Amino acid sequence: MAFLDTLATNLPKLLDGTATTLALTGLGAAIAAAASPGLALLRANGPLPAQLALRAYISFVRGTPLLAQLFLVFYGSGQFRAELTTLGLWGFFRDPFNCAVLVFAVNSCAYQTEILRGGIQAVPLGEVEAARAVGMSRPTILRRVVFPHAYRIAWPALGNEIILLMKASALASIVTVFDLMGRTRQIFSRSFEFSVYFQAAVLYLIITACFVYLWRFAERRLSRHMAAPGRA
Amino acid sequence: MMELFSYGPLGWGDEILAGLWVTMRLALTTLPVGLLLGFAVAALSLSHIPALRAIGVGYTTLMRGLPEILTLFIVYNGLGLGLNRVMAWIAPEAGPVDFPPFAAGVIALALVFAAFAAEVLRGAFQAVPEGQILAGRAIGMSARKIFWRIKLPLLWRYALPGMGNLWLNLLKDTALVSVIALDDLMRATKVAVGVTKQPFTFYLVACLIYWLMCLLSELVLARLERRANRGLRRA
Amino acid sequence: MQPQTPQDLVVHAQDIRKSFGTHEVLKGISLQARNHDVISILGASGSGKSTFLRCLNFLEIPSSGSVAVHGETIAFSNGRIGDQRQIERMRQHLGMVFQQFNLWTHRTVLENVMEGPVQVKQKPKAEARDQAEALLARVGLAERMHHYPSQLSGGQQQRVAIARALAMEPDAILFDEPTSALDPELVGEVLKVMQDLAAEGRTMIVVTHEMAFAREVSTEVVFLHQGLVAEQGPPEKLFNNPESEVFARFISKIR
Repeated sequence: MAFLDTLATNLPKLLDGTATTLALTGLGAAIAAAASPGLALLRANGPLPAQLALRAYISFVRGTPLLAQLFLVFYGSGQFRAELTTLGLWGFFRDPFNCAVLVFAVNSCAYQTEILRGGIQAVPLGEVEAARAVGMSRPTILRRVVFPHAYRIAWPALGNEIILLMKASALASIVTVFDLMGRTRQIFSRSFEFSVYFQAAVLYLIITACFVYLWRFAERRLSRHMAAPGRA
Repeated sequence: MMELFSYGPLGWGDEILAGLWVTMRLALTTLPVGLLLGFAVAALSLSHIPALRAIGVGYTTLMRGLPEILTLFIVYNGLGLGLNRVMAWIAPEAGPVDFPPFAAGVIALALVFAAFAAEVLRGAFQAVPEGQILAGRAIGMSARKIFWRIKLPLLWRYALPGMGNLWLNLLKDTALVSVIALDDLMRATKVAVGVTKQPFTFYLVACLIYWLMCLLSELVLARLERRANRGLRRA
Repeated sequence: MQPQTPQDLVVHAQDIRKSFGTHEVLKGISLQARNHDVISILGASGSGKSTFLRCLNFLEIPSSGSVAVHGETIAFSNGRIGDQRQIERMRQHLGMVFQQFNLWTHRTVLENVMEGPVQVKQKPKAEARDQAEALLARVGLAERMHHYPSQLSGGQQQRVAIARALAMEPDAILFDEPTSALDPELVGEVLKVMQDLAAEGRTMIVVTHEMAFAREVSTEVVFLHQGLVAEQGPPEKLFNNPESEVFARFISKIR
């Protein structure tokens, strides 16, 4: 079988690409995760101008193809080469990996913010009032009551978003990043060996399956207190 | 600035509009094909026969787990290789041929769309309250009548929000076909960038056009949802 | 060989049994409804009364027993589904009113009433429309016919459901706890319509908790207990002189 015959030759390159795919996804998701709680709070009950700005940002990200966003940053930055050079940023934008991480972070942040906002707005008002009643400060309420709740509600949707980002990270190959997709295309363009696509497909599915397993494991830990009363 | 986007030999307005037309044709051709396929896959995954159900569920799981761009390459290159193998057999003297990229784009996008649509449809079918169906049975409606007169009209209501999202995704996913040599909006922009050396300006315009299409779609979808939900109390 | 159905026998169920898994809910129940009968089926929850009613128009498929309606008989054994066509044909002759109304939410009140005659009985639209309008006027909802079900109160929805059942011109109407899902103040308007139907001579089989209805409107009362008929007879006799102890306890608890 061609699939197994070429696997040994292809695997080192494909695994190298997998590492890049994981780095792209992990960095993008992590940066987005760091920014999203604050933005979600602003989006839920910030001042009106901030809310409008966030709505426009989220709508733009959701309304445009990721590929177009990637081209806008990676190729578009060339139009401001002189300015970016004086700022010392040209080195950053010349590297497609950096651009991809930046775009993925900005893109995923919009989705994560929207998901988390939903979680925040679903926190039962009574629990917030109970926290106020015992005299908690606003930051403490957010830290101890609102966000723990919001994350538990948003957790499955956040997991979905990260899987979507992982899949979408394959677009980085089009701006010459050698992620899993990039390695796959490279191997195909040299050997015209079609089975490499199926090998890549299996790897993508394995990544997804592992992630789903880990995410569910974390979800069980997050919601330990919600175990059936009989077992407590 | 303005003349960059003007119509005619000096500006890029006509090229970009032509690309936009390809993008829209691609999305509008894919939609019915994908929807039909999606119904078929949903029927499989709701089947009473375990083997058929496994096929349906396996298809949706597989397709939703793969990057769209990978599916596109598999379809485009796979169909290309297949076609050439057939051509070499029928007419060995003819040189290698390319599979038409528009068709490859429609097929790949429809395969992806169908997997997600099947999930939406399956959920919607299961969301139709049982009482609605019992009432049909009680007056002696046949299973087929119940499907056409009760399930399908209600299905529309439960599936519409999910379908709306899928349409927006489809619209955006069409941008991927620019990498298989189809002259859509994305590729027309790329050509313009190559000549004018103004990548930011042109890609920004492309983004704005996609954004506008999505905003218009959302408007239409909101209308359709209001129509589909007539007869439902506002929560 | 099926027993011959006498002319005035509208519904004839014989020895209906129904099991869910190993749990036998109905342990052999028979019922005969003659023309103009109003039969109330009483029983505690879990007695199997709704299941029995649903067996009469095959929304539940009996494990065994037979049902005769409109000159046709289906005999069941081992819970086999039977002839779907025949089931559909027989259902047209039995109206059904559900506890939860089950009006089609995507159709207007008028469309709900017209649906059966047009789609199942192939009646011309204009004729079905005239009939539906007349029926809606009868249940006092003529001015609501272009509303959607969700714009109506529960009592109004149930009256539409009754009109929908009548539109099929059935031999008998089955009512499955028609007032149980209603707010107390809306129960009266539905009972009133049912009472009028009874006075008109309609054949009705009613699963209910409304003792007053069972006592004053029905011609016969059937009391189910643990999947069997525990008591059966004219209401005046049953309510004044209950034979079985369970029924005596049942009515004393209600009162």
